[in-house]
Amino acid sequence: MDFVILSIVILAIGVYGLLTNRQLIKVFISIELIAIGATLNFVMLTSALGQGVGQAYLVLAFSTETAVSAVILALLVIVSKRYGTTDISKIIKSMGEKAENEAETQ
Amino acid sequence: MILEILSIGIIISACLALFLDEVVYSVAAFSGTFLFTALLYWENGSTYAAIFQFAVSVGTLAILFLSGEMLSDKALKKTSPEKLGALLGVGVVLSLPALFLSVSSSGGSYGVSTSSFGNALWNLNGLDVVLQALVILTVALGIAIILYERRKGAS
Repeated sequence: MDFVILSIVILAIGVYGLLTNRQLIKVFISIELIAIGATLNFVMLTSALGQGVGQAYLVLAFSTETAVSAVILALLVIVSKRYGTTDISKIIKSMGEKAENEAETQ
Repeated sequence: MILEILSIGIIISACLALFLDEVVYSVAAFSGTFLFTALLYWENGSTYAAIFQFAVSVGTLAILFLSGEMLSDKALKKTSPEKLGALLGVGVVLSLPALFLSVSSSGGSYGVSTSSFGNALWNLNGLDVVLQALVILTVALGIAIILYERRKGAS
């Protein structure tokens, strides 16, 4: 049982989900998975060394993760309010249409 | 044996969270990922890490459930049993490398003294400052986004 490989696998799943998913909430879940992979590696290595410092820094990592989540969710709400959907392809399409309309009016 | 089961659970629930069609079911599967991770920390002796992971995950999941219910498109097809079985199989296959492979270290000590969690927190006073700075930064970012939206809505 190797936790480094486990965290690499979780990281890879998160990156794959980030690249392939079209729903913004799934993208957010992918980012959370990447964060879980990173913290898992951190905690397991420091607990193998028998140090409490790793857990103390983990508090910092969690607070950073929570702050990032809050900002991403705020952006997600704004985008879904503005475009009426959380599908990235639809958002990009409506952004293109909006840009074309602006170019035509100018 | 418990650690292996927990790691398989983490990977399977991560796969389900990313590739299930309904967002609410994805969030439910993602709660499994958080729970298994906290249990893995607990079993490995990192009690404080497990408690923090659990506390953070509760908040994140509450927000994810709310946003998943409110923001997702309603007309989504349900996941077929075949796809569910395939996802479970992929999860089991992906967890095999973690169970059977290992990254061997060169051995020996890392030359760092061990310390308890309480001592580490007491000695690292700078962490408090950084944490408070992060909270203030997040609040400032939130206020900036709200003001930007209001200005844009007014103009």
